[in-house]
Amino acid sequence: MDELDETQLKNHVESLKQQLQFNREKTSVAIPELTKWIEEKMNEDPFLNPDILKDNPWVETSKCVII
Amino acid sequence: MGEMEQLRKEAESLKDEITAARKAVQDLTLQDHVAGTAVVGRVQLKTRKTLRGHLSKIYAVHWGDSKLCVSASQDGKLIVWDSYTTNKVHAIPLKSSWVMTCAYAPSGNMVACGGLDNMCSIYNLKGKDGNVKVMRELAAHTGYLSCCRFLNDNEIITSSGDCTCVLWDIETGSQKTVFAGHLGDCMSLGVAPDFNTFISGACDFTAKLWDIRDGQCRQTFGGHESDINAIGFFPNGNAVITGSDDASCKLYDLRSDQELITYQDSGIMCGVTSLAPSFSGRLILAGYDDFNCNIWDSLKAERVGVLSGHDNRVSCIGVTPDGMACCTGSWDSFLKIWN
Repeated sequence: MDELDETQLKNHVESLKQQLQFNREKTSVAIPELTKWIEEKMNEDPFLNPDILKDNPWVETSKCVII
Repeated sequence: MGEMEQLRKEAESLKDEITAARKAVQDLTLQDHVAGTAVVGRVQLKTRKTLRGHLSKIYAVHWGDSKLCVSASQDGKLIVWDSYTTNKVHAIPLKSSWVMTCAYAPSGNMVACGGLDNMCSIYNLKGKDGNVKVMRELAAHTGYLSCCRFLNDNEIITSSGDCTCVLWDIETGSQKTVFAGHLGDCMSLGVAPDFNTFISGACDFTAKLWDIRDGQCRQTFGGHESDINAIGFFPNGNAVITGSDDASCKLYDLRSDQELITYQDSGIMCGVTSLAPSFSGRLILAGYDDFNCNIWDSLKAERVGVLSGHDNRVSCIGVTPDGMACCTGSWDSFLKIWN
């Protein structure tokens, strides 16, 4: 903060005032919703559900490729 | 008391109030909530393709869709790859070889890059005669271009070593909004899935969330003990992940405005260069200076896999939009596709 001039310092203080106003959700609400979202999506995550990668576009299905 | 001294005291007092406000809503920790959840099983991804063609260190890679990606190397080229066939769709020579970032527009019509030339150059891939040409050079930053991301074909956001981020109008080449507030070089940025906000990570050890339309910094996240080199949104847009020279990654929750967990291990002593979440966000893939990429269970904060195969620093990583594969780029001049 020492390198800031007066205008920059004023802007810094204004920004902090705005950031303080942020309407914070309780973690007892935010965390379970986040983890629920993740757990529901895991089934569709190709790195976690091997069935999805049965059709793998980066793996050659046959030895010959027609150019 | 001088005006400056008064302002400094006010700033410190506001920071303390923010810390208190965060503590006041912390009635549950992530560790406690997932105490009964099992760690995911070992994740073993294999190299499916190696993209060969760059002649020097690769600094950036970005997926356009789930097949095409663009990479930037200090050999002075941008290459657009068909990752399925490893064919080079475009090999674009750059005016300045000191490139640090590249981006693919969501439409697939354009790519952009920039670096020590302090500019963001936009290339039209769909020109009438089939040649790829520079469409616009966005110049105004007074420091290097560390990262850029398209919002659409006419708007792009850049982050710079001049400590600012900028929203540009590509058609007119003008700055629509300057996002100032970081106290150190901005190293990386990520756009929210809903395109209303973006996040920046900087050498002042903080990450900031910005409102794209009104230019305001909504939230600032600290905790890292060194430069933040990599940043990304969680797939649902409600959390942010950062990677730092302090050898750790952190998860910050946007709704409760606080850090939830740190991904670190006493055995890892080198900086994080890049990161990307998997499709569900349950896995975080992070590239490190020690040539490896570690895979973390994002909820349990344990390492569940490693991608090894590069012979130099992993500088960039990206997961396809459909989550089917990830691409790593390295100073060894190769890109690898893994799944």
